[in-house]
Amino acid sequence: MTQSPTLIGQSLPRVGLDAKVAGSADYTADLKRAGMLYGRILRSPHPHARIVRIDTSRALALAGVHAVVTYEDVVPDVRIDADLAPLDRTLRFVGDEVAVVAAESESVAEDALALIEVEYEVLAPVFDSHDALAQDAPKLHISGNLVGGSVLDVMRGNTDTGLAGAARVFEGRFHTQMHGPVGMETRAALAEWDGDNLTVWKTSRAVHAVDRNTLARVLGVAPEKVRVICTTMGGGFGNKDEGRLASLTALAARKAGRPVRIEYSRVEEFIAGRNRQESDIDLRIGVAADGSPVAIDMQATMNAGAYVASGMGVTRRIGQGALYLYTCENARFRGTTVYTNRPAGGSFRGLGAPLGHFALEVTIDQIAHALGVDPMDYRLAHHVTLVGQPGQRTTPLGELVPDQPVEGGVPFSSNGLRECILQGAQAIGWRARRQANGGASGDVVRGIGMALGNYKGGGNVNSSAEVTVAPDGRVRVAVGIVDVGQGSETILATIVAETLGAPVANIEMILADTATTPPAHTTAGSTTTMTSGNAVKQAAEDALRQMREVSAGAGDFSSMAAGLTGEVTGAASLTSGSTEAVINSFAAHFAEVEVDKLTGRIRVLRYVAAHDSGRIINPRMAENQVSGGVLQFLGIAMREELLIDKHSGVTLNPGFLEHKSTSIVDFPAIEVLFCGEPDPLGPFGAKALGEPPVVPVFAAISNAFANATGVWLHEVPFTPARVLAALKAGGAS
Amino acid sequence: MTSDSTRSRINLNVNGRYHDLDIEYRDTLLDVLRERLDLTGAKRACDRGECGSCTVLVDEKPMLACNLLAVQVRSKAVTTVEGLAQRPDFARILDAFIAEDGGQCGFCVPGFAVAAYAALQHDTPLDATALRWELVGHTCRCNAYDRIAAAANAAVNGGAR
Repeated sequence: MTQSPTLIGQSLPRVGLDAKVAGSADYTADLKRAGMLYGRILRSPHPHARIVRIDTSRALALAGVHAVVTYEDVVPDVRIDADLAPLDRTLRFVGDEVAVVAAESESVAEDALALIEVEYEVLAPVFDSHDALAQDAPKLHISGNLVGGSVLDVMRGNTDTGLAGAARVFEGRFHTQMHGPVGMETRAALAEWDGDNLTVWKTSRAVHAVDRNTLARVLGVAPEKVRVICTTMGGGFGNKDEGRLASLTALAARKAGRPVRIEYSRVEEFIAGRNRQESDIDLRIGVAADGSPVAIDMQATMNAGAYVASGMGVTRRIGQGALYLYTCENARFRGTTVYTNRPAGGSFRGLGAPLGHFALEVTIDQIAHALGVDPMDYRLAHHVTLVGQPGQRTTPLGELVPDQPVEGGVPFSSNGLRECILQGAQAIGWRARRQANGGASGDVVRGIGMALGNYKGGGNVNSSAEVTVAPDGRVRVAVGIVDVGQGSETILATIVAETLGAPVANIEMILADTATTPPAHTTAGSTTTMTSGNAVKQAAEDALRQMREVSAGAGDFSSMAAGLTGEVTGAASLTSGSTEAVINSFAAHFAEVEVDKLTGRIRVLRYVAAHDSGRIINPRMAENQVSGGVLQFLGIAMREELLIDKHSGVTLNPGFLEHKSTSIVDFPAIEVLFCGEPDPLGPFGAKALGEPPVVPVFAAISNAFANATGVWLHEVPFTPARVLAALKAGGAS
Repeated sequence: MTSDSTRSRINLNVNGRYHDLDIEYRDTLLDVLRERLDLTGAKRACDRGECGSCTVLVDEKPMLACNLLAVQVRSKAVTTVEGLAQRPDFARILDAFIAEDGGQCGFCVPGFAVAAYAALQHDTPLDATALRWELVGHTCRCNAYDRIAAAANAAVNGGAR
């Protein structure tokens, strides 16, 4: 490329935002088909039960009802995930799917649900993850309650000898709550059959990588017969990845012989959407006489609920900070994932990383305090640098087994952690505002705290893209990923326009349709900019090469396009990442809080989020992404929690108000800084940004609270009750 | 179908046009707009008056369409975001939301846009803080609040803090 970049860093308008504001953007539940019916789902009233008998005759007799689907309509042994059937005789949580009604209106379908007669054999439930691992615990699945049959165990060096040789060992126990991602748009699917050809419009994160194959398997048709489309996504946050709703919608449509649309209610989204699981984390960090960490040993237990979906991946990410954030020869993470009769878990923004970082960064703060070192200076001295971790990596890719080093001896592709710390500290005025822990007296006290974050994003998934240039200069970009709301469509359009030297207004983006786009990965793990970004860039370069051949290399984009006799299509297919370098995004967050020791209320006064996500392609959207992520997790840090009744398994607060969603007046405007250098592997130097903003938030607040009160908070959310209990236990006056 | 005592015939004024509709008494205004009139700009996100995504103007005042039965507004003028988009002064809202990146996934944004439009009509000016409070009934799970607040402020106050 000879031209100098012109569009990168310019904050182009978000693609499609005009239609969203004017109400003309089509989300799945906005779609209709001729003759379409409406579906509703009957859900289990029991946390653990078996269907003895189900009688749908009265429901079917209701005027306007066209079909009722039960487990008897499902091919035996067909699975959506390893542990999940489309419909099952065994029900594993309050809200588990029992039957589906398709009718001429939602109201009639709802009426019909009440007419389905079900006789249940009620089974003993188990809700607590530790109880579920007991020998005599009720088993949810044939494979037992320990997901995957073993504990995930990854280690670098040897933590046993590291801890034994440490001058001091710091320990902590941490807990995080169950809560709901619940995007504003609830899950929805619309299915239409034409012979044995199936078209499904759905809320999705992976029309290619997951949905098409799942639907083909469940419906017993070839994948080529299945088309999956996601028109516009109303919020993903790593969620909406499972295929159950779409499978049920397609089954109902086939049985009714008409298109069917099913849209979750808000209550269903809370109960039967996939939630962030409860976690318990134990952490031990050994330090040498000079204070440097010599062993980090983290153990976590995740309560995965009835079905796991990506739960193992969630657990794995808990260990990310412990294994990588501080330079340390010996590090180990053990993660146990457990089935219980609570609503099903799944992935949510950041996966386990915010949970593990909470434990890690609070403990690091405690170490600095015990050593009499400023926690920023401690972090500056020990955070992982560009060279990565010591040791030697023996398995470059794939599953890691116990006693093997974890990513040792491999450098990062770039690492801006130090700049994040320095610039963030300057922005909040760290040196001037930091006070001795618990130094202030009085009922209302203030403090500031910080926490770091690293997030592995970008690598090791496949994507492909096609970029077609027409003689009139119009450019069509086909890429199979879903823009879940984070703005990928805009970022990819910008990358293509920049690569071609074309006006961005000429770019038409085609996303998330298995019939019109090439295969792509799931929108997950903060991979889209790196993976699909490189795919569209390479495809655009391929198109440009073809244009140059036609025009003998002369002229700018418009004149080269004008010289074309027909369309040219550039294509690319790639696996992102590198075996030579680890791609991580980094962040340093700083919070100032005010604590009322009488009421237990924490007020956030200022929040600075400094990020290294490489080169920022669209600063305004990136600022939006960081600010939104921080606010989302401040809400979770302070009060969002799904409460499950310990006896009945009923979700007690499935609504925005009861779950305590964050509003526009709860927190101050977030101050966002970008401190990264261009990454050598990223498209135009960009790195991941989707999930990193949420990673350090819990710890930043707990550490600021400790600066104010002398006591750290170990349980999220930091509700007034928990704050008062922590102050009492900590002996603060 | 249901018996006649559960149904009503109404003449609903939406975006300046009258629609003769046979509806059930239990039908919400939101469901009639979305499913009968194909006006899907008002979104169904909570369906119980908690989140503001279904905000429409009823006689020019912002109301929650999920919290109204269609029969309740039969003598009123209902304006949805699609209707507002036809008004010249809505351009201020649209331009400000685009310029300030007011939203992410966008599902809540029509509701915010209708509320911001209503805030334009206030007799007394609303400063940036008062505007946030004006929008407090609207939930955004992307938490794009800072950019939405900036967009609303740009629309109402020309961006002044």
